[in-house]
Amino acid sequence: MSAPATPLRWVGLAAWLAPLVVFAVGPVVFLLARGLGAAGALEGLAAETGALVNTLAISTGAAALALVLGAPLALLLFRTDLPLRGAYAVLFTLPSAIPAFIWGMGWLSLASPRAGYLNRLLGEGTLDIHGPVGIAFVEGVSGLPLVLLAGGAAMRRVDPALEEAARVCGASPARALLTTTLPLALPSLSSGAVMVFLMAASSFGVPYLLGVSASPPTRVLTTRIYELVLRADEGLGRASALALGLLLLTPVALLATWALGRSGRVRLSAGKGLASRPFALGRGRAVAGAAVALGCAVLVLLPLGALVLTSLQRGFGARLAWGELTLAHWSGVLWAPRTLRATGLSLLLATGAGALVCALGLGAALLQRAFRRLGAGVEALAVWPYAVPGTVLALALLVAFSRDWRFILLERVAFVLALAHTPWLLLVAYAGKYLALGTRNGAEALAQLDPSLAEAARVSGAGPTRAFRDATLPLLRPALLAAFVLTFLACATEITMSVLLVPAGSEVLGKLLFDLQSYADPAAAAVLACAFVALVAVGQGVLALLGRRAAEAR
Amino acid sequence: MAAISLEGLFKSYGATQVVRGLSLDVREGELVSLLGPSGCGKTTTLRMLAGLEHPDAGVIRIGGETVAGPGVRVPPEKRGLGMVFQSYAVWPHRTVEQNVAYPLTLRRLPKAEVATRVREALRWVRLEGLASRRPHELSGGQLQRVALARALVAGPRVLLLDEPLSNLDAALREELRAEIAALRARLGTTMVFVTHDQGEALALSDRIAVLNRGVIEQVDTPEVLYHEPATPFVAGFVGGANVLEGEVRDGAFLTPGGTRFPLPPECRASDGPSTLVVRPEDLDLGEHGTPLPLSARLFLGHAAEYRFPVDGTLLRVVGPPREARASQILHVQLRKARLFHRG
Ligand SMILES: Nc1ncnc2c1ncn2[C@@H]1O[C@H](COP(=O)(O)OP(=O)(O)OP(=O)(O)O)[C@@H](O)[C@H]1O
Ligand SMILES: [Mg+2]
Repeated sequence: MSAPATPLRWVGLAAWLAPLVVFAVGPVVFLLARGLGAAGALEGLAAETGALVNTLAISTGAAALALVLGAPLALLLFRTDLPLRGAYAVLFTLPSAIPAFIWGMGWLSLASPRAGYLNRLLGEGTLDIHGPVGIAFVEGVSGLPLVLLAGGAAMRRVDPALEEAARVCGASPARALLTTTLPLALPSLSSGAVMVFLMAASSFGVPYLLGVSASPPTRVLTTRIYELVLRADEGLGRASALALGLLLLTPVALLATWALGRSGRVRLSAGKGLASRPFALGRGRAVAGAAVALGCAVLVLLPLGALVLTSLQRGFGARLAWGELTLAHWSGVLWAPRTLRATGLSLLLATGAGALVCALGLGAALLQRAFRRLGAGVEALAVWPYAVPGTVLALALLVAFSRDWRFILLERVAFVLALAHTPWLLLVAYAGKYLALGTRNGAEALAQLDPSLAEAARVSGAGPTRAFRDATLPLLRPALLAAFVLTFLACATEITMSVLLVPAGSEVLGKLLFDLQSYADPAAAAVLACAFVALVAVGQGVLALLGRRAAEAR
Repeated sequence: MAAISLEGLFKSYGATQVVRGLSLDVREGELVSLLGPSGCGKTTTLRMLAGLEHPDAGVIRIGGETVAGPGVRVPPEKRGLGMVFQSYAVWPHRTVEQNVAYPLTLRRLPKAEVATRVREALRWVRLEGLASRRPHELSGGQLQRVALARALVAGPRVLLLDEPLSNLDAALREELRAEIAALRARLGTTMVFVTHDQGEALALSDRIAVLNRGVIEQVDTPEVLYHEPATPFVAGFVGGANVLEGEVRDGAFLTPGGTRFPLPPECRASDGPSTLVVRPEDLDLGEHGTPLPLSARLFLGHAAEYRFPVDGTLLRVVGPPREARASQILHVQLRKARLFHRG
């Protein structure tokens, strides 16, 4: 596709940049300035060293756990003849697909000191999911798919001849696997672990659930920010300082991934190469199969099962017996007016955010193509909010739009931007945060499109706009649809930003779940969590279907 | 150094038989090429020799020891071979030195000896200065040398090479070919060399095994193979000969379409269905012979190639360049030819 005429591209760039600057870049910069400028910002930060240390320790622990579990699991799933490995590869994507908060709830049902199901089996107080170790555990497991996917992709790219060469040189099969394929996949595995670190550092729900109400409480940066924001004005300055600390983790971690990528930037595949032959586990197959089955049962199925059980119990902690199970919570929660109102607003916001993400993402993809050099900047700008912790983004919006902004155009037309305490702020937050999904999907799909398709339309007599609409857009539709579904799912189940931004008197699903779990009713929360899981399952099913359709069309 | 014997090897992938009853003996210190078109089973045969595939039937012996056969399956790491892969397979996470040292460290040699032998191997392939480089800092030819040094460093009983030169440009190919020949003269290692390039095979080999669809059509020295091909396929593949189906009648070769080539005196054969094999340079253009319409003329520099349509295929003739127009009638005469009886 030919680049649009020059003035048109600049108009497009301006139209794309304006909302991004006003609603994402501006507020975060404003917050940073405020954090730096706040009187006693440094002292404030110093007073919160505990939270900072906890954040670092928990995130490191989570990343380490994800790597330690993920590396052998990736080898077993993608390079051996482990029984049922295809099914496991699907099951082990669940920890990331379902919000971490829900896994935290599951583990709370299983391992809260007195009423947890596991503790009732093993004796009261055997396990306690509260505290830094429990938080790191839940975060690490919910980040496991990131390590697994990165490692699996790398292992598929490794030329099998590399391993065969080791065999011919005298290495046993296991040794060849461990001295060639594993070290070659290690940079990818580690960059997956860095992503887990970032995810854990910016996570709010799990540390709130398992840290704040524990005794002694475990506070991390995100939960401290939340507490300070609740204290309103005098807390905002200090919260800004904390946000600054949290925000600095992102570039550091990204730098680490970049360095890993550099050392790992090796040509992984050369020549035609046959498909990798899975390593035969031989007699170890049964043992490895049992170990993975057990791991999957404990890490994935058990917490979900516990949630279902909790949702069916008369009250959490009640005696476990068939007769005690009831559907009362289900009917009580699902048809409650509060739930219906929250569902309505959530669906509306998720749809709006999905549409915005698709439109802006498509714009970003087109601009990347129109401005070759500047395109990288456009992409960075579009993807960047995704790396900003939700807590920070929400805080930035809260601070920036706490009062109304008056804009005067051409000295005559004035309009007022009054977003404070309206659901619009949520829409802005959702769309900004997940813009990366639309940009990535759009850019990838556009890169795969042969430009001659649109050129053929032009030659046939279509103008540039018409050619885009008739030849390019239909082919981008599956990718944009996938971005829409991903965004919709993420927004409908979003908790971190919702908790901070929902205006008084309104309700969205994430906030409702958070409130039910934190203040009222674990059984009701479990019902809602099960509904979330069902929604995610349906969404993932739609995505799989879309993926298959797109693959067939190619 | 060891002799190799392959006896009645069979190998299928799913329903397709890739190797079908292949037998071959390689003497100690000999270099034998496996030559054949793409997909004929060369790589598969080599991989069975290395132990990377197991034959469905048949026996493989290396140095008198059975390494594959009914109930026997020696894994690749226990065969004591060296192998150069078509894709180089130089490990990108190790330096040149570490790549070459790998087989030695697996054999738990003392550090000092490893260092000496690695240095020596790098000298063989003329890479002394690059020991601490990483593979992504090397050119294709240098990578191939690393692969060669790694395959040779532990003193393998047999060196297996799978199209080691096919990923290189023409000049480098020439250079590495000479180097492999020199290394062989120095080390005397038994080698099996897979290639689909007949020039390479003719230049390097003691003997060549020509493969066609999973069976060996002929095993012979390059000279014998070139001058006395045992089958039309070998003649067509090795010398680039014209292969025509037809029958011999009254001292001449007749194609089904009725074109008649009088046979040269030393090429007498009894009447009957036959295959005629004649090299392009063994055909003369002149005043006598079979009149044929010229379809194309290709200038080759020292000579020219003339093409004539015969029964739907093209008969190629190479001779001195001369003026000729398309569809002009020229006379083609057999100077030397081979006949294979069918039926
Ligand atoms: N792992 C495999 N699975 C299925 N088919 C295979 C496999 N390996 C080889 N084949 C098939 O076996 C046939 C012979 O393959 P082989 O690699 O031995 O050919 P080759 O003579 O080395 O050809 P080339 O010159 O192209 O390398 C081919 O048709 C190939 O498609
Ligand atoms: Mg091959």
